[in-house]
Amino acid sequence: MKVKIKSNAFLIAVSAVILGLFAGGLLMMSIGSNPFEGFYYLFRGGLMNMERIGNTISTAITLMLVGLSVAFAFKTGLFNIGAAGQMLVGGLCATLVAHYVFIPRPFYLVVIIFCAFLGGALWGVIPGILKAKFNVHEVVATIMMNWIAYWSIYYFVPAYLKGPSLETESKSIAIEQSLRSPWLTEIFGGGYINLGIFVAVGAIFVIKYVLDKTTLGFELKAVGSNRFCAEYAGIKVNRNVVISMMIAGGLAGLAGMTYYTGYSRNIQIGVMPSMGFDGIAVALLGASNPIGVLFSALFFGMLQSGKGFMNAMTEVPPEIADTIIATIIYFTATSVLFSRFWDSVGRKKRDKAQQKIDQDESKEEVSHE
Amino acid sequence: MKKYVVVLCVLLLLGSVVFAQGQADTGKTLLKVGMVTDAGTIDDKSFNQGTWEGILKAQKEGLVDAKYLKPSGTTEADYLKEIGNLFDAGYKFIITPGFKFETTIYEAQDKYPTAKFVILDGEPHTADYSTFRIEKNVVAVYWAEHESGFLAGVAAALQMKTGNFGFIGGMEIPAVQKFNWGWQQGIKYANENLGTKITVKAENILYQGSFDNVAAGQQIAASMYDKGVNVIFAAAGGVGVGAINEAKARVTGGKNVWIVGVDVDQYPEGMLPSGKSIILTSAMKYLDRASYDMIKHELAGTFPGGEVLHLDATNDGIGIPVENPNLSADVVAKVQELYGKMKNGEVKVADSQIAGLFK
Repeated sequence: MKVKIKSNAFLIAVSAVILGLFAGGLLMMSIGSNPFEGFYYLFRGGLMNMERIGNTISTAITLMLVGLSVAFAFKTGLFNIGAAGQMLVGGLCATLVAHYVFIPRPFYLVVIIFCAFLGGALWGVIPGILKAKFNVHEVVATIMMNWIAYWSIYYFVPAYLKGPSLETESKSIAIEQSLRSPWLTEIFGGGYINLGIFVAVGAIFVIKYVLDKTTLGFELKAVGSNRFCAEYAGIKVNRNVVISMMIAGGLAGLAGMTYYTGYSRNIQIGVMPSMGFDGIAVALLGASNPIGVLFSALFFGMLQSGKGFMNAMTEVPPEIADTIIATIIYFTATSVLFSRFWDSVGRKKRDKAQQKIDQDESKEEVSHE
Repeated sequence: MKKYVVVLCVLLLLGSVVFAQGQADTGKTLLKVGMVTDAGTIDDKSFNQGTWEGILKAQKEGLVDAKYLKPSGTTEADYLKEIGNLFDAGYKFIITPGFKFETTIYEAQDKYPTAKFVILDGEPHTADYSTFRIEKNVVAVYWAEHESGFLAGVAAALQMKTGNFGFIGGMEIPAVQKFNWGWQQGIKYANENLGTKITVKAENILYQGSFDNVAAGQQIAASMYDKGVNVIFAAAGGVGVGAINEAKARVTGGKNVWIVGVDVDQYPEGMLPSGKSIILTSAMKYLDRASYDMIKHELAGTFPGGEVLHLDATNDGIGIPVENPNLSADVVAKVQELYGKMKNGEVKVADSQIAGLFK
């Protein structure tokens, strides 16, 4: 008899989600709301009709790319908190392209993707080099880069991309120059879904391929598992740190592109994109696995876009959805507990099964005697 | 493991039974009024709060069922999403405070033709200002900020008699500029007709450039007070909060300085532990009246759809607070008299930079 319960990333993620939802339900009860009603409208708000599904996906696109960025850095043992800044710079590059480059659509898309990736990569590679050359901790370096991006944009946008009246945001991008696409908008009844979905899903599979099937991916993972061991094996650790941060930055830059030229069509100054940090949660829940990131981004996207409707239909405040997200992260972050729990459940069952077998055997032995 | 699952389910079920509240049956269906907040919270002591208070008043009177939603960001997409949420939840009378909703309402008026919108402090147009269009389901409301600033300027001048006045604006947008023009004209009027001796220097008329930089507001106020300014009119949202903080600190330290509040009666904001407030008076726009009146119109079937309304002294849309503990009764009476003159057109206030005003 085989017992299959063993901790794995999927089981941990699912238990974190369930416990997170459960904690959210308790919160709803404690403020006197019906949790079933709350969750019903939360999910309805994210999935009720095509437009809302489109909005869920459009929120998920950005989260997916940021999550992928963080997950990719995780694989090399790096903690990329700088996704917000990389998003801003990537988004700024994409916005510039959208305002100043007028070429046929297919080439245009290639150029805008390339520039956004380059912008984000630049913002990621600097902490990477600092880490490799001077051993500056990447958490500190990326946080500082966030603020450099934030304030650079604060002055750059009003100076060069000012809208007709508002000092606080860039002029908006013409719909033909944005990532929105008429046929997608039509399918999804006017949602904010945009071509970023193909970029995001494409990136997921490219990154999965790079990590699983290439030498580069193997080296990156080796550095992440144990950099001294990797070094001993002849892998150039520093080079891999720089490459990892560069690609992670580039992915976050793409996220900025999908957000600023797909979802919002302008850049606002003085706003640090919160998705840059939500992406950490996405990566954690997705166990830093590209496919995991795909699904966890969709899940978070649904919570994010459903919470407004829940708020409109019930007395549950929208902060509950944020609390659920936070609780889920908490449970994912303490995944060691889950893996121990599931392992112990598995072990008990195995033990029981083993006992039974032993008993049966001993009985048999007895009967033989 | 199964045990735990069962326990969880039972708990959830129990909870839902205990706390389940059916929709309260009121017999008749009330008008469902929704509001989407602008940047900032519902209790921002300014635009959001003023608008919401008017809606709450209607709710307290049992006229409407009200709900506000706070968007997760301040982009047009975020605003439109919340409008969609309100619409899908049955809130088809939607009030949006602030000029930032102009492009949002431009799109929403076509997307939700069966809903009705009230936009305060702006009117629907495209992002590049090329097209202004207001449909039959939208009412746009503007205020005569210059008249409000004028009254506050006269009141402050009369109360202080002599001194040096300043102005701190947020972003240099028309609504804030108009407060400035009115403020300076009010001081001038008092100097010329009511015997006060107030000076205004060009260097003390400043726009900070944002509505949320509290620290910068405090710095600007500090440097103005250092240069001998006694009264600052802060039409600047969060920047004004910084100025208020600076004034509080100085008054606590024994100095005699004042702030003139904006949009709503900011008297409680300037309250010191001693129970006194450093808010001399406030240049008000009656946001609550606008939202309340629009609801009343809708209920009476007289919703002025497609119109752009201008609220000023003639229709009691602006003014200084009813209660002004820091103004003498004499000053309040004189301001009232002047308000009457504005109502019947004897006194006119320019809404642009006329000769003699500092930018």
